[in-house]
Amino acid sequence: MTTEPLPAGGDPRQLLSDVRRLARRVRLDQRLTWVALLMLAVVTLVGIPFDWFGMQLHCQPDGSCEFARRGVLYYWPPALLLTYAAIAVAYVRAARSRGLTARVLPYTITGAVLTVVFTATWLGAALYFPTHPTHFPSSVLVLDRLIAPWGIIGVALLVLARLERNLALLFFTLAYLAVALALPTNFGFGPPHWGIRLGLALPQLIVGLVLLLGAIGFRAAQRRQR
Amino acid sequence: MTAATGIPDPRARPGHPVTGLDEVVHQRVRLGILAVAHEARRVEFGYLRTELDLTAGNLSKHLSVLEAAGLIEVEKGYEGKRARTWITLTTTGSSALAEEIKRLKLLITQVETTDFPEDR
Repeated sequence: MTTEPLPAGGDPRQLLSDVRRLARRVRLDQRLTWVALLMLAVVTLVGIPFDWFGMQLHCQPDGSCEFARRGVLYYWPPALLLTYAAIAVAYVRAARSRGLTARVLPYTITGAVLTVVFTATWLGAALYFPTHPTHFPSSVLVLDRLIAPWGIIGVALLVLARLERNLALLFFTLAYLAVALALPTNFGFGPPHWGIRLGLALPQLIVGLVLLLGAIGFRAAQRRQR
Repeated sequence: MTAATGIPDPRARPGHPVTGLDEVVHQRVRLGILAVAHEARRVEFGYLRTELDLTAGNLSKHLSVLEAAGLIEVEKGYEGKRARTWITLTTTGSSALAEEIKRLKLLITQVETTDFPEDR
């Protein structure tokens, strides 16, 4: 055994407390939650005009309308995959600069897999439903929202919260999912063709702002903790 | 002290949690190194030095002890022109840390439940 330059051992309570404190410190230093939320907020807000202008909308004189959200289908799959890649790079770079490794890979893989699931589901729906009009119960519509980009963002964030053992992110994500899944999509104002576009754009604007506020909040919290 | 890394403490009673404490792991700084390496999976020398508030020489000594006991792996390399030393916990190190934490918890429980004469 070498000569001990520091006191060996110590009060077991103190030792355990030190272990916990150090582990917590590492977890805090590995986190970059606000960057992930900021990137997701930006991708959500930028997606609104794609949905608005990429929507195929045909309204009848009786006021009934048919629409297809082509903009969502073309914009979101590459945008989400790029965002998850950017989040992974940001986490890895930040962790390395601090002398640590990042805990982000399972999150980005989950995000990428969910993006593929969303794309396949929406492609299948775009090919099938025009020839097979169907009325769904509200439970199926909730599932539809969960598979939509704004829903899968939340599901993937649950994985990030677990990886980071981040209770604040867990609560934030649950609140986010409640907003993303419960927001009405028909706000019922403007002419029919405006109403549908607005009705679908406003929830995106709200979830985008929720993510942005989350990013600001987590950034402020991180600055306080350092 | 365990059979793996040292000599049993003759003062310790058989079966007492103290008998299972590994002197290599039980040392405060080394326990801190293992805890950080466990949480981070791979940690840089500079991070450990800052977080544990040690001099480079002091930290190196502790790392040598842990490396000799097979509890960590030390990997030296370069990132650009900057020399970097990365520390990774081995499977043995992970088990030793878990065992130490278990022993410490046991020790705390035992101390709390022991009826000392001065308490009477």
